[in-house]
Amino acid sequence: MAAVTAKEAQDWLIDKIAHRLGVSSDQVSPEQYFDEFDLDSTEALILAGELESWLGFEIGTTALWYHPTTKDLAAYIAEESEQRAAAS
Amino acid sequence: MRPRRRQPAAPQIVRRLRTAAPGGRTVFLVHPGALPADVHRALAAALPEGSGLTVLDLSAVPEYFDAALAGGRADTTLEALAAKLRAEFEALPEGPVHDGRPYVLAGWSFGGVLALEMARQMSEGRRPRRLVLLDSIAPTQAYQQPDEALDPPLLLGWFAMYLGAKRQRRIRVFASRLAGHSAEDGLLQVLDAAVAAGALSPDTPMPGLRKLYDTYVDGLLRNNRLTAPYRPGPAHAPIVLIKAEGSLIPEDPTLGWEELAPHGLELHTAPGDHYTMLARQDSAEMIARLVGVVDNPAVDNPAVDNPAVDNPAVDNRAVGDSRGGDSRADDSVAEFCPPTVPASRDRVG
Repeated sequence: MAAVTAKEAQDWLIDKIAHRLGVSSDQVSPEQYFDEFDLDSTEALILAGELESWLGFEIGTTALWYHPTTKDLAAYIAEESEQRAAAS
Repeated sequence: MRPRRRQPAAPQIVRRLRTAAPGGRTVFLVHPGALPADVHRALAAALPEGSGLTVLDLSAVPEYFDAALAGGRADTTLEALAAKLRAEFEALPEGPVHDGRPYVLAGWSFGGVLALEMARQMSEGRRPRRLVLLDSIAPTQAYQQPDEALDPPLLLGWFAMYLGAKRQRRIRVFASRLAGHSAEDGLLQVLDAAVAAGALSPDTPMPGLRKLYDTYVDGLLRNNRLTAPYRPGPAHAPIVLIKAEGSLIPEDPTLGWEELAPHGLELHTAPGDHYTMLARQDSAEMIARLVGVVDNPAVDNPAVDNPAVDNPAVDNRAVGDSRGGDSRADDSVAEFCPPTVPASRDRVG
């Protein structure tokens, strides 16, 4: 799989979060902390599983803690994805 | 949704869900995660006027919490976790070191095992007068199981119970229909049941549910592995075991605690299942009565309807069963119909 860019990852995350919250994508800020969304831990884990399925690799659930905004997480995902693509 | 630039607060071990009035007693409770510590607010509200409830939340300990998100192996020991909680506990201004009065230490699920070990590590004058265990399984050899014994049908049933409690819906899955199925097939059954119950959205993706399930199972395995090498001696105080009517091992009356209770074992049954027993008002009221008994139960709390209360001399035996309600009542929020003979025993937290 080609590497996922930070923009692609961010757009994917914002689209999913907006869908879960029932709001439009432009109402979800990439700089907002995950714990400020009305997502409970169940929804967050379901989202993480869906994200891993989309990416094709595990990101580790603790990544959501260490990269607590959509923007930060998307940058981390892009970095991981690029490393994996380069190694394959 | 305007962004706010703030870092999420680090979780705290000590959670004061209710502060005692001057002169009032505080109950201490060890919580092992799985559900948010706020689930004990039902108990806090049910305690007598003037009482306090301080929760020691094990999930705020990173090496414990992270293990459920990273394969279920914690780089620590049960004794070390207990020591960490004990240090926090002994520093509490409302705790026994500063307060000096007799107190009750409670624990839910795996938290009950931590409470036992905390009490064992304390010096004599600081130990609790009673240990109150909420559906905890004893950390004895007879009740320990290898990881392989935790097969998918059993785990899926417990997972449905857990998910039902999290989403406050009754999720009906049947052990007979899970038997012989893989985790993946069983998860499809859980997904159907959860969607039918309104616990999950119809568009919940299977990879998402699988992640939730895997994390739940890793939490169980973490606790199972922490308990495996743990060999406690007997408790220094009487034990009060409050089983959930829909316990993880419904047919077992003592969950193995008689071996560790030379100072007496009281048995009670609370309505609800392993998880909903914490949030249900009827169950919380029953637990509140029992954790409110610090010294002689017959004197402190004549309302407790247990044979052991009337006969404290009965010890180290299964002494009776006071049923606090019906788990099939309308306000029950989760339902797992277990097999007649459960295949395994485990600690869930």
